[in-house]
Amino acid sequence: MFALIVGGSGSGKSEYGENLAVSWAKREGLPLYYIATMEPWGEEGQRRILRHRKLREGKGFTTMECYRGLKDLKLPKRGVVLLECLSNLAANEMFGKGGAGQRTALEVVQGVRALREQCRHLAVVSNDIFCDGGAYDETTKQYQRCLGEINAELSGEAHQVTEIVCGIALHQKEIGNEPVVEQL
Amino acid sequence: MVLIVGGAFQGKKAYAKEKFALKEEDFAEGASCGFEEIFSAGAVADFHEYIRRCLEAGREVQDLAGELAGRNPEAVVIANELGCGVVPVDEFDREYRETVGRICCALAKEAREVHRVVCGIGMVIKHG
Repeated sequence: MFALIVGGSGSGKSEYGENLAVSWAKREGLPLYYIATMEPWGEEGQRRILRHRKLREGKGFTTMECYRGLKDLKLPKRGVVLLECLSNLAANEMFGKGGAGQRTALEVVQGVRALREQCRHLAVVSNDIFCDGGAYDETTKQYQRCLGEINAELSGEAHQVTEIVCGIALHQKEIGNEPVVEQL
Repeated sequence: MVLIVGGAFQGKKAYAKEKFALKEEDFAEGASCGFEEIFSAGAVADFHEYIRRCLEAGREVQDLAGELAGRNPEAVVIANELGCGVVPVDEFDREYRETVGRICCALAKEAREVHRVVCGIGMVIKHG
């Protein structure tokens, strides 16, 4: 199973991704990996990372860090993977030292594909950074375009694409189904 | 409680008025009302603006969703979905954006129904 989860800031997408990955791992008794992509810059970054760690606590994740070069990451065992999140990974590749620069979209998509080949189930969290209508500079627009391309490409390959709104899952794509709203 | 979310200028308030038979005077305006007003009004508009003013005034918002649901359980609350842009450069903007998101998640949990309005059209994303 390959699920793509998208949502805005503070939408509850991480929690949804965690619960999905945990449910897969429990169902099949598989090891559970969390791939963290956020570089721990500054006090605010540390705080964010801490918050996410607390959310994951006790859920059974083994955390691996990967800031760039995802396609070279080797998983210890074939299990369930939660990759969070593509917006950080893309930013690191695009703007970071030793990153893929102009080739970021391809690099990230290939990284996710390489990950899929090594695991039983994969959940990928990405960001919706496209709907505020802000007038951004050319570099930022390039970054938006790049993440948009990545999301669209992976969405085509995914079995499930879920948008999270206020913690509520809206399934935009399920195998063979029209978009449906989850009944709560 | 009913939560109505959606992007800016999507017709959320008009939708709320029609759907829940509300009048203009039923609304506490998040951008200008007194801090206590939201706990007694029939409906709250621009709740994100209320949250912004709380943060600016240094008020505690940790349990705002719980307090609102507890003290005004029948309220119709409207808020903008505003987390779907590029991470803001300004630290306050980042905090504001994330706080609104978290509070809306908490409100959605408490709410009987959640509606999402796009182009004036409401979609019920959590059913009562």
